[in-house]
Amino acid sequence: MDETTNRLEEKSKKTTKAALYKSVWRWHFYAGIIFAPFLIILAVTGSIYLFKPQIEQVIYKDYYEVNPQGEKISASAQIEEVKKLYPDAVVTQYRPGENDERSSEVGIISNDESLTVFIDPYTGESLGELNNNDRIMDRIEEFHGELMAGTIGDRIVELAACWAIVLIVTGLFLWFPRKKKDLSGVLFPRLSKGKKVFRRDMHAVPAFWITAGMLFLIMTGLPWSGLWGNQFQTIVTNTGEGYPPSVWIGNAPTSNVKTKEIADVPWAAENLEVPKSEVEGYVPISIDDVVEVANRVGMHPSYTVIFPNGKEGVFTLSAFPPKAQDEATIHIDQYSGAVLADYRYDNYGVMGKIIAWGITLHKGTQFGLINQLISLVICLGIIFVVVSGFYLWWKRKPTHSLGAPKAISIKKMKLFLLLMIALGILFPLVGLSLIIVFLIDWLIIKRISKVRMFFNA
Amino acid sequence: MHKKKMIWMFLFIVMLSGCSLKPDVAKLYKEESPLQSEIIIPDTFSANEKETIKVILTQHGERVEDADFVHFEIWKQDGTVTYYMEEAFDLGNGVYGISKDFNSDGLYFVKVHAGNNGSIIVPQKQFVVGSLSKSELDFLQKGQQSQIEGHEHHH
Repeated sequence: MDETTNRLEEKSKKTTKAALYKSVWRWHFYAGIIFAPFLIILAVTGSIYLFKPQIEQVIYKDYYEVNPQGEKISASAQIEEVKKLYPDAVVTQYRPGENDERSSEVGIISNDESLTVFIDPYTGESLGELNNNDRIMDRIEEFHGELMAGTIGDRIVELAACWAIVLIVTGLFLWFPRKKKDLSGVLFPRLSKGKKVFRRDMHAVPAFWITAGMLFLIMTGLPWSGLWGNQFQTIVTNTGEGYPPSVWIGNAPTSNVKTKEIADVPWAAENLEVPKSEVEGYVPISIDDVVEVANRVGMHPSYTVIFPNGKEGVFTLSAFPPKAQDEATIHIDQYSGAVLADYRYDNYGVMGKIIAWGITLHKGTQFGLINQLISLVICLGIIFVVVSGFYLWWKRKPTHSLGAPKAISIKKMKLFLLLMIALGILFPLVGLSLIIVFLIDWLIIKRISKVRMFFNA
Repeated sequence: MHKKKMIWMFLFIVMLSGCSLKPDVAKLYKEESPLQSEIIIPDTFSANEKETIKVILTQHGERVEDADFVHFEIWKQDGTVTYYMEEAFDLGNGVYGISKDFNSDGLYFVKVHAGNNGSIIVPQKQFVVGSLSKSELDFLQKGQQSQIEGHEHHH
């Protein structure tokens, strides 16, 4: 080979490399601008929600704490007290309280509102009620999970989380050092190279440092999401390696008793000649029997009893304490007290265990305070990186356009195209949004020259 | 072109299989073998004669012979009749029973405590001897959550 072809080859390699760099930058640029606000919301609400246990302990102190004195009264007696106070309420939940100083909780639906009534288990007195809609930490969780906008919000959060992965991948590509000289501007910022370099380093260097943590939070948060999360959980549960059914998705087993064998309430008011067959039948076991089952099978003390929903429903004992290993979901036949399913952490499949750990780590409960602090640092890091990235763009931005890197035809970059398609398949919402971006680009941006200039397409 | 088709097929399958859980998915995880019971109340009650209340126990779809324990307790809703927890007779072929007097009319409850091979059940059935009194009818119409169970003794 002679020198000229060599040089030409090198030159074309360089231009391809530069082109690839530019389009990766372009994707990073647009994804960053569009999803920056959502990432800030997620990081801020997440930072607060991390400290839910401590915050609720302070604001609900009067509802939570009781003085141990003598024996606790039975669960049924406590629920009777609640029924006296709320005669028309339907009892939906009962939580006995995990230790001697903790009140018990009775969940009711009264006038179409979900209330939690806190009961002193030693005296049976009510310590007050909380409307579940007024619980500030629940609202923050709703903001974090669905921007307080229901399903649409859930999808936006999922989309932002997925695109954050795209941001991480493209960001790492842009950050990856090309001249292997030294690590300044890679692992630590360059302070003496002028403002422009400093601004770039203030985005890229911290971003690299929090990448692993951010990716971890995204990957452990995604199983919660409505679309990707549910599909993922379904597929994993179907393989036998996930959560057992009903722990996350799927229905609880139903009672073994046939409906016709269940006792009916005779409504024929004044008539004493009620047909025997109507009255005769099985009646639900009492809540005290359910508590006895919980004690017998060794339920984690923080459990909640969820009352049967309708005639075929079951009592469900549910405990999701701070540590994944303590989780338990138990279904009890409401007419016989038989344990129909008993799923502990040990009964989860391998993926189920990993997801469970991911969730408790994500929530910051698995390792207590140190877990919360590490997660908080990651959240603050995300906020810093988003803000510095935004600032970086703002400072570089020309007056009359967005200042996006020049678009290069995607057809020239097979590898990049394949990567995007792969991400689009793995995360359907990313795929869907890519299709929309493509359509907007093809139908609007490419056809109107002013718009085209603005987007540098 | 062939590859593209394959990708679409793959996507389609993923979407379909992702839509719902397999109906028997619970079989892939830990399964319980709950005791099942059928409490049989006599059709008629006659004064001055003992009547036998029976329970048929099954587990895994088979009759349970030699259950670990079967106890009965019976009480009348108004509290005038109480038969404390008592071991049942083994009548063979998974049937266990207890014979008692039911000489006064009204609303009764029977609660069976049975255990076998790790499963414990406490099914409770209500039944009527003769006819109901006004107060018993009121009790039934108020809902079933206020049963008198003050006399319970647990093992």
